[in-house]
Amino acid sequence: MLSRVAESLFWLSRYIERAENLARLVDVNREHLLDSHRQGQSNPTEAWRPVLQATCADAAYDAILEDSEPPPDAGRFITLENRYPDSIRQCIANARENARMVRDQISEEMWLELNAVHLLLQSSEAEALWASDAPEFYNRIIDFSLLFQGLTDATVVHDEGWQFMQIGKFLERADKTSRILDILTFWHEPDRYHCSTVLSSCSAFSAFRAEFRGEATLQNVAAFLLFSQAFPRSVRSCLRQVDNALHAVSGVPAGTFSNEAERLTGSLLARINFSGVDEVFGRGLHVYIDELQQHLNDIGQRLYETYVLLPSALRNVTRADGTQHMWQYNQQQ
Amino acid sequence: MRLRVHHRTEYRYFSPVWDSLNELHLKPLQTRWQTCESAIISVVPAVRLTSYEDLHQNTVHHFEIPEKHERLIIDSRCTVTTACKVDFQALPYGFPHSGLRSLKGDEECFPFLQDSRYVEINPEHWRLALDIQDFSTDVFQTAYAIMEYIFRNFEYRYGSTTVSTHANEVISRRCGVCQDFAHAMVALCRCLGIPCRYVSGYFFDATRHHSLRGSEASHAWVEVFIPGHGWIGLDPTNNKVIDDTYVAIAVGRDYRDVTPVSGTYFGSGSSMLEVKVTVERLDSPAPPPKPAAASPAPKPVPAPVKAVKA
Amino acid sequence: MLFQDYEKGDFFDEMFASDDGDVFPHYHPLYQRFQSLEKEQFQERQQRIDDTFLKNGITFTVYGDKDGTERIFPFDLIPRVIPDREWRVVQDGLTQRIIALNLFLHDIYHEQRILKDGVVPRDIVETAAHYRPEMQNVNVPRDIYIHVCGTDLIRDRDGNYLVLEDNGRCPSGVSYLLENREAMKRAFPRLYSGMNVRPVDAYPELLLKTIQHLSPRQSQTPVCVLLTPGVYNSAYFEHTFLARQMGIQIVEGRDLVAIDGYVYMRTIRGLVQVDVIYRRIDDDFIDPKVFRPDSVLGVPGLIDAYLRGNVALANAVGTGVADDKVTYCYVPEIIRYYLDQDPILDNVRTYLGWKPDDQKYMLENLESLVIKAANESGGYGMLMGPSSTAEERSIFAAKIKANPRNYIGQPVISLSRHPTVCGDTIEGRHVDLRPFVLYGEDVRIIPGGLTRVALRKGSLVVNSSQGGGSKDTWVLYQ
Repeated sequence: MLSRVAESLFWLSRYIERAENLARLVDVNREHLLDSHRQGQSNPTEAWRPVLQATCADAAYDAILEDSEPPPDAGRFITLENRYPDSIRQCIANARENARMVRDQISEEMWLELNAVHLLLQSSEAEALWASDAPEFYNRIIDFSLLFQGLTDATVVHDEGWQFMQIGKFLERADKTSRILDILTFWHEPDRYHCSTVLSSCSAFSAFRAEFRGEATLQNVAAFLLFSQAFPRSVRSCLRQVDNALHAVSGVPAGTFSNEAERLTGSLLARINFSGVDEVFGRGLHVYIDELQQHLNDIGQRLYETYVLLPSALRNVTRADGTQHMWQYNQQQ
Repeated sequence: MRLRVHHRTEYRYFSPVWDSLNELHLKPLQTRWQTCESAIISVVPAVRLTSYEDLHQNTVHHFEIPEKHERLIIDSRCTVTTACKVDFQALPYGFPHSGLRSLKGDEECFPFLQDSRYVEINPEHWRLALDIQDFSTDVFQTAYAIMEYIFRNFEYRYGSTTVSTHANEVISRRCGVCQDFAHAMVALCRCLGIPCRYVSGYFFDATRHHSLRGSEASHAWVEVFIPGHGWIGLDPTNNKVIDDTYVAIAVGRDYRDVTPVSGTYFGSGSSMLEVKVTVERLDSPAPPPKPAAASPAPKPVPAPVKAVKA
Repeated sequence: MLFQDYEKGDFFDEMFASDDGDVFPHYHPLYQRFQSLEKEQFQERQQRIDDTFLKNGITFTVYGDKDGTERIFPFDLIPRVIPDREWRVVQDGLTQRIIALNLFLHDIYHEQRILKDGVVPRDIVETAAHYRPEMQNVNVPRDIYIHVCGTDLIRDRDGNYLVLEDNGRCPSGVSYLLENREAMKRAFPRLYSGMNVRPVDAYPELLLKTIQHLSPRQSQTPVCVLLTPGVYNSAYFEHTFLARQMGIQIVEGRDLVAIDGYVYMRTIRGLVQVDVIYRRIDDDFIDPKVFRPDSVLGVPGLIDAYLRGNVALANAVGTGVADDKVTYCYVPEIIRYYLDQDPILDNVRTYLGWKPDDQKYMLENLESLVIKAANESGGYGMLMGPSSTAEERSIFAAKIKANPRNYIGQPVISLSRHPTVCGDTIEGRHVDLRPFVLYGEDVRIIPGGLTRVALRKGSLVVNSSQGGGSKDTWVLYQ
C-alpha cells in the first residue's frame, strides 16, 4: 500500500470522526444552553467558551469576533464557518478531499455517502436547515458518520488500508472524548448539570447509568470516560483498538513493538490499564488530560514518520536483487 | 471468413550490420476469393518503404538500411476476408490427363511445368508419381492422391530440413515441414504434366484442439491448374483442399519466388531470428466477398511470406 | 414526438440523409424508440443520469474557474450510431496512422531519414515545442512511442471522416466513454440490446495489457502504476477510474522516488520497484531534473531511470512532436514514406504560418479561418474566424507574425451535426469523434470513441472546458 494512500485513509476516517464528535458536542451544548439561560447565564458567547476551548476553536473565534457585531453564533461557527479550518463543514470537505485521492481504495457506497453529505454541506440548504432545525442538522451529520463507519466495516476489505482507517478513527475518538471531559475542568465545581452535558456529548448517558448506577459526579464521569472497559468511546477502549490495529499492520505480536508508534501506544495503554481515577485527580484532571493529549499527538506523529516518511534506512537502498524480492514479497502479503 | 494476421519477424545481429537490402513478400493477394481490407508493413529501424509487382503479380516491398544497425524488425498486419474457392459439394473432377498436353504451351501454365530452383523433374519422381496416379485418368483425382500420399508417407518434423532443402532430398528422405511437403508435391505434379505452383500464406486453425500443422508460423501449400476451374489449392501438410481458412500471400514456382523476407547485408557473424505469427478470426460476421471487377478496397495488391519453415 | 420540429439545416446530419431527409437505416430503431417517447419521460431519464453522474463524482475541473472546482461533463441522451462499414474505414485509417506516427518518431529520434530525404523539413521538427533532443538514439521499450492515442475526427459536408488532430501525449476522455455507455445501458436497455452494439468494456483490460507489454522485467508480473498530477487535475476522475478498473496503483510524483537509476514507490512496507508508468503528466513536468525545474508534480531522476531502460513510460517521452499541429500537415507524407500507402483518412486542409504563402493567405483570410496555436490543446489559444471581433483578429495577426512557426490556419469545416437535446426541443448540434487507439503488441481500437458535442447553438468548439458535452457512440456489428 502506498504511504500516501495510507495517510489519506487515516485522515479520511479521522476527519469524519472529528465531524461527528463536533456535531455531538455542539448539539448537546445548544440544547443545554436553552436551559442555562433560564439559570441566568446572560452572555451567550461566554456560555460557549468551554466548548470553544475544548475544540481549540477559541483563538479562531476571537479573531473574527473582533470585527463582527453582533458576535457571531459560536455554534454556527464550529459548524459551518469556512474561516475555521476545523469546522464540521471543513472536516467533511477535508474528508472528501482525502477520499478523492484514494477513491480507488474505498467502496463506491462510501464515496456516494460522503459525496452526498459534502454536497449538502456546500449548498445553501445546509445553512437553511441549520437555522430552522439545528438538531436535525446535527442528527444528519451523526447519522452519516455512523453509516459511513458501518460501510467501512461492511464494504471494504479489512486489509492494511482498513487498519489505517481504524487507527485514524480511534485516535480521534480518544482525543475528542478527552477534550469533552476537559470541559468539566472549566468550572471549579462542576454540577450535575455540567456532568450530564458532557455525558450526553459522548452519547454516554445511559451507558454511564448502567455502569455506575449512581451520581453523575466529576469523579465518576472521569472514571467512566477514561477507564471504562466496555464503553466504545472511552479512552481506554479507543487506545486498545489503536493498539490492535497497529499490530495488525506491523504483524508483530501484541505486547511487543516494532516502531515508535506502537511503543507509545503500548505504554500509554499500560498506564491507563494500570492506573485509576485516584491517580488522575492526584495529578489534577486538566493536567492529566493535557498529558494524555500530548501522548495521542505523539502517536499520530510517530505513525506518520514510520509509515509515510519512511525511515532513512529504507531510502538509501542499494539495488540488490535479494532485498528487492523481499519487498515484493512483503508487498504481496 | 474475416481474418486478422499479425506476422512479426525480428533479427538480432551479434555485431552491427550495414548496407542491408531487403525484399518482402508479405502482402496478401487480392483475388475474387480473397479481399485484403488492409495491410500494413512497418519496419524498425524506420525506413522508406517502396513496392513493386513481380512476374507473378505478387506485391514485393523493398527497403534499404545503409547505416549500421543491430536489430531489424518487420511487422506485417493485415485484415483479409476470404471465401471458399472450391465448392465442396462439387469438387473439380472431370478433366482428364489427356487434356494436359494442350496446357504445355499455355502462357499461364508454362512456368509451372518447368524445373525451378528447388524443384526438379526427373525420371525417379516421374515413376513415383505414376505409382501414386495408379491409372487414374482424372487430373484432380491424381493431384488429390499425391497430396494424400505425401501426407500419409512423409514425416512432419521440425529441424529435419533447412530453408534451402531441395525437393529431391525431401522425396528421398520423406520428411520435412510444410515448405518441403509443398516442394515435393510441386515436383510430383509437374512430372505428370500437371501445372503446379507454390503458395505461401497463413491459415486459421479452426479445429478445436488446434491439431493442424503449421498454423503458428507462415504456411505453404500448392495450387494445381484444372482447366475450367482454375488454380485449385491443396495442402499436403494437412491433407486439405484449401478453403476459407487460408490466406494466400504470394504464388511462385517455388519457395525462392515467394520468400517472405529475403535480403543481403554487410557485416560479420551470426544473427538470431524470431518469428511470430498470429491469425485471429474477427468475430463479426463476414460480408459476402466482393467480385474482383469492382475491387473498391483502398489498394488491391498481393504479397506472400515465409521466413521460418513450417 | 421528439423529432417533429427537427431542422436538419444545411449541414451533414448524422441521422438524416442530406438529399431526401430520410432517417439513415442504421438509425431506424433509435429513431422509432425516441419518437415513441413523451417529452416528460425523456427529460426524466436525462435528469436521472445527470444526478447519477454528479453523485458518482463523474466530473472534470475547469482551469481558471474559481467557484466549484468540479462539474459534470454534460451528457446527451441521444447516442451517435456508426454502422460497421464506416467504422472499418475509421479503424483501418487510425491503425495506419498510429503505426506511421510511431515509425516517424522512431526515425526522428534515430537516423532521421525522413529529414535527410527532405520529405519533412528539418526545421519544423527541431523547432517543435515538444521535440526532446534527450531522446536521440534512445531505444524505447518495444520501439513504441505512442501507446495511447486519441485522434480527433470530424466529418465534412459529404460525411467523409477527416482527421482534425492527433493527441499523442496524454489523451483523456476515455472514462466518459465508458461511463456514458453504462448510463445508456441503464436508460435504454432494450433499445441498446436490440441494436447489436459493439461493447466497449474491454478497454481497461486492453490498456493494462498494452502497458504490461513494455515492462523491462518480463519474468514477473510487472508492477504498473498510473502517474497523476493529483486531485486538482481536470482529468483526475478519469485517472482514478482507470487505475481502479485496471487494478493498478494510482500514484502522484511524491509517491515515487528514483534511486540509482531505478524507480520505486513509497509504500508502508518500504520501497517497491516500479516497472511501467502509465503517466498522465506532460513531459514538461515529469522530471524537474531534466525538464521544468519548477515542477513539483514529477519525480526527480525518473528520466535517468527511463533512459537506462529500467522503467518504461507510456506514452514515451517526446511524442509531442508527432501531435504538433504543424507535423500534422505532413502526416499524409509520413504515411506514404514509411508504409508506401495512401492515407485512408484525410487531413483537413491546413495553412502553415511558417510558409510565406500560407501565412499571407492566413492573414488575409482570418475571418474565414480557424487559427490554432501549434502546441496547445483543449481549445485554448484558438481563434474562430467567423465569430471573432476585429480586435481579436488583430491580436492573432500580431501573434502569427511574431511566431509564425506556432500557428496554423484551417478553413472552418462545418462539422457534421447530430440531433441533440436542447432544453425542451431536439436540435442539431455539431459533433466530433475521439476514438482511442492502443498500440501494444497489436493495435487495438475500442469501437467508437468519445463523441463530443458543442452544446451552444452554432458553436464548433466541442472541448469539455469550453462548454462541450458528450454522447455515447454506438458502433454496430453490421
